[in-house]
Amino acid sequence: MKKLLLSILFFIGGLFVVDRLGGMVMQWINVNTHDVLGPKFKYIHDEIHEDVVMLGASRCHHHYVSSIISDSLGMSVYNCGLQGSENIYSHYVTLNLILERHTPKVVCLELMPSDFDVNEDSFAKLCYFAPYFGYSERADSVFQLGGLYWKYKISHLYRYNAKATSNIAGLIVSRQKGDDHGYIPAKESSISVGEIVEAPDITDIDEQKIHYLHLFAKLCRENGIRLVFTVSPKYIAVGPSFYDVLRNVAHEENVPFLDYHTSGLFQDRPDLFRDDKHLVDKGARLYSSVFAHDLKKALRVGERNN
Amino acid sequence: MLFNSIAFLLFFPIVCVLYFCIPANHTRLRNLMLLIASYYFYMNWEPAYALLLLTSTIVTYLAALGIDRYDDVKKKKACLVSSIVLNLAILFLFKYYNFLGSNIETLLQACGADISVPEFGLLLPVGISFYTFQALGYSIDVYRGTTKVEHDFATYALFVSFFPQLVAGPIERSNNLLPQFKTKHTLDYDTVMSGARLMVWGFFMKLVMADRCGLFVDIIFNNVEHHNGGSFLVASLLFPFQIYGDFAGYSLIAIGVARILGFRLMDNFNRPYFACSVGEFWHRWHISLSPWFTDYVYIPLGGNRVSRVRNYFNLFTTFAVSGIWHGANWTFVFWGMIHGALLCVEKALGIGKKKFTGFSKFVHWLLTFIMVCFAWILFRANNLSDAITIITGIFTNMGMPASEYATYMSVAMALSVLLFKEMKDEFGWNIHISESRYWLVRHLYLIIMTAYILLFGVLDGGQFIYFQF
Repeated sequence: MKKLLLSILFFIGGLFVVDRLGGMVMQWINVNTHDVLGPKFKYIHDEIHEDVVMLGASRCHHHYVSSIISDSLGMSVYNCGLQGSENIYSHYVTLNLILERHTPKVVCLELMPSDFDVNEDSFAKLCYFAPYFGYSERADSVFQLGGLYWKYKISHLYRYNAKATSNIAGLIVSRQKGDDHGYIPAKESSISVGEIVEAPDITDIDEQKIHYLHLFAKLCRENGIRLVFTVSPKYIAVGPSFYDVLRNVAHEENVPFLDYHTSGLFQDRPDLFRDDKHLVDKGARLYSSVFAHDLKKALRVGERNN
Repeated sequence: MLFNSIAFLLFFPIVCVLYFCIPANHTRLRNLMLLIASYYFYMNWEPAYALLLLTSTIVTYLAALGIDRYDDVKKKKACLVSSIVLNLAILFLFKYYNFLGSNIETLLQACGADISVPEFGLLLPVGISFYTFQALGYSIDVYRGTTKVEHDFATYALFVSFFPQLVAGPIERSNNLLPQFKTKHTLDYDTVMSGARLMVWGFFMKLVMADRCGLFVDIIFNNVEHHNGGSFLVASLLFPFQIYGDFAGYSLIAIGVARILGFRLMDNFNRPYFACSVGEFWHRWHISLSPWFTDYVYIPLGGNRVSRVRNYFNLFTTFAVSGIWHGANWTFVFWGMIHGALLCVEKALGIGKKKFTGFSKFVHWLLTFIMVCFAWILFRANNLSDAITIITGIFTNMGMPASEYATYMSVAMALSVLLFKEMKDEFGWNIHISESRYWLVRHLYLIIMTAYILLFGVLDGGQFIYFQF
């Protein structure tokens, strides 16, 4: 029995030491990797200083060409779009990480159906943010909501679980090709987009996500940030009421809502899409010009109203 | 409850403490505690399905008592047949009814009759094929007189529901497991450590190897219309390791958990991908299932004490039945039939009995591996049409596979560790890490493997593939 207890204690103690040491090594790798997400997270956390930040998931990452928007607005722009930042919980964490050291003037939030629909795995992709656990109380509250708080609190190694291999690979191979202040063009695909399909309206609305959309807007307001909701083009047809939920939140929060999906922008140009949700570089550049023009107008209208 | 869940990490230590707190000579009390724990473990999925487990237990228990009680062969047979019919009826209703219904519907529609067969809208109870087979095996063994009847209901119920092997095996034989419920098990340091080593290696196989492979395999096999032959080929080469890691991982955890409690479950895998023939593969893969089919299907059909043609038919039929046991889908039937056909060919050529060496061994190993991988495509494909798309895609639409380089790297790392361990065991290399004679090395192995799992494992509680069978 004594022998067994000694073994158990040694195992727990040894695992604790290895976990902490491994966590330190993985933190170093996370900071020095040239993978897709690592450098962006590092920039968001340590260096961001731009006036305008674009927030969202992979569609934001591949759709907003920072230099084009910056030229048009005359303001510095950084595209904080993160692959895997799939809903409002992740965007809320990102905004809080930014606010720890910098307050931008404008935040454009690219939204998707996953920002308001009911989904079993709503917190699954929060694991990408785990290396930044413990940096912001408000961000940590989202980990708590997703049931991840204690896992990250107990194990430092586990915080790097989601991106461990790609972070290590990113030490050898850079995946930052074509970086333009956070914008990275989508890879070309050999398979062309097929016939356009129509998506039905989403009726199952997640009230907790709506609450977080309001919290996001409130946080921006409290920090004097001008918030804009946007939905970039998709090669999927939707009805006019598809984004009514977002439109209502935008209306309640007095936030401009630039919706290019319902309006069907580029749906006659399949050559601009890599797949039904992502534009190719050419499409992103065209879209960024249109968006920058409209954003300028929306900000001017906002200024006049204030 | 899944082995790879936080709930199990809490459940198992509590069970261990309670079990060993009961004095070793109070075996009935210990068994009762394990029985309650086993039902709690099972009811975590769907409490109502515990009734099916209980029904199967009661039916086979009573049938065995009847077989033992009556001297009249007809009455004995009646008891056995009622046990088999009732158990298979439950299995059929939950697992095969919808499959049969949809096939009849398709057939009728092809004949021009627009008749729809009503669907049975209940979920498949987890592990139903495993515990049904284990319980049926007991009835048949009692009938044959190869095992003694168990009079104590609680002990027998524990034999059917013993939580480590309840939902995905190993499918235990009554003459191995039942006597163990009557012996005293003491907390033994070496046994606990050996169980812990098996568990850690099982978790590695499941969480690091199988689930990482699964991330890629599932994307490809679930969206065949979006991928090319290159991706199909890579997915088809990764799936054999996914299913091996998944199933062997589960078996190792099950064996490890049971061993810590003092029980010895049978081995279920013996480095199957080192097999040099399909026959040898089946002596190394799902070891607890093969004897079941041999004893209760192949031999009753006549086994090999019949004409050559009839023997091939028996072999082929047994594997086709084994295929349908795995799942209610034509893909499983064809998978079983491919294995059956390959075994018939091997038997005709006399390959099964030959011992290979040198280059010949390498060629046979490679051919076996390719054939087994090919058959796995049918096993994994969602339907026959997808399987055909994948197989033709590999030969006609070759291109660069999907660039999931992080997955490739994870899998390569995990496979390297697996390959080293398997080669060490297969070729008897004199390297001892997990079983080193040095206390520190053995413990460092456990610590480093656990840390490796924490960093590279898929820890979101994914299901084990064999739970669906």
